[in-house]
Amino acid sequence: MLMRTIFAASLLLAFASAGFADLHWDKPIQEFKCTPDDKHAEAHYTFKNTGTTAVTIKSVKTSCGCTTAHLDKKVYQPGETGEVVATYSFHGATGSLRKLVTVESDDHPSEPTILDLRVFVHEPFELKPALVYWRTGDAAEAKSVQLLANGYAVKIKNVSSSNPRISATLQTLKPGEEYLVSVKPTDTTQKEAAEISVLTDFPPESPRVYTIHARIK
Amino acid sequence: MLRAALRQALILLAIALLPAMVSGAIQLKWHHEEPLAPDEVRAATAAEWGTDVIFVDARPKTRFDAGHIDGAILLNNEDWETLSPKFLDVWDPDKKTVVYCDGGSCDASREVAERLKREFQIKNVYVLKGGWPAWQSR
Repeated sequence: MLMRTIFAASLLLAFASAGFADLHWDKPIQEFKCTPDDKHAEAHYTFKNTGTTAVTIKSVKTSCGCTTAHLDKKVYQPGETGEVVATYSFHGATGSLRKLVTVESDDHPSEPTILDLRVFVHEPFELKPALVYWRTGDAAEAKSVQLLANGYAVKIKNVSSSNPRISATLQTLKPGEEYLVSVKPTDTTQKEAAEISVLTDFPPESPRVYTIHARIK
Repeated sequence: MLRAALRQALILLAIALLPAMVSGAIQLKWHHEEPLAPDEVRAATAAEWGTDVIFVDARPKTRFDAGHIDGAILLNNEDWETLSPKFLDVWDPDKKTVVYCDGGSCDASREVAERLKREFQIKNVYVLKGGWPAWQSR
């Protein structure tokens, strides 16, 4: 009986004196506000090993090919700090976007850390909608596309169609703010396609061209 | 006498319990599927739609080239400007559009699906649950 008690107490002591590892992340959720010209958002997720033994980061995985994550090294000693740098290239996507980075380490092997990268890309100019279409045999009526500036004064310098059988006419509703493009096919007897280029003056250093797609299906 | 009967009953119960547990485990595995979001579709359902569906591969071109659903159109955020006209040439307003990527934590399919709905106001756009791996293992 005495031997058993001594054995159990020894085990307890052994566990109590064993080291532990623990990564503490400063800001696992980060938010950014961008414009399409920013092209990408970069988040720095800093962490510290607050445990008493070294931590090994086994893997850092991103949720898509558009996001990369970089880590300087894999093993972090007690008290040591490090960071995961995540870069998300949003490639013209706008609105609320979210990317996740999964970090697996040996301090909590069954519970990977999820780093959350949230980006809101403000679109300075919107086309509503960017696609107009007709079915073959439909009446060859004009369809309208609304062009709206969001927070910036945007002028339209030119509107041109890639297909002479589908025309585009610009109408200014509020200069710098609101425009209307009327898209009209000559007829709808056959399938057609046109890309209508809308050249703006924004941003001044590199004016953007937006595209209205027109299809006869 | 009573003890013998009780023992026999316990043995019979144990014998019956084994296949019941195996069956239960199989049933649980087969029927335990994650619920679908309103715009998600399972691979089996998308396959049943047959020719009424246009598949959109939202992965990078290298992944698309390595293997994709037969007839799928490549359309991703990275090359949206050049790829979207090609998609629209094939797109049919009378068909469903199903977007997929690599499944798991991949969210490119959802982003492309949202963009098709928002920018082009295309209806009947779905995200393939489980993506390309789910399609392969259906």
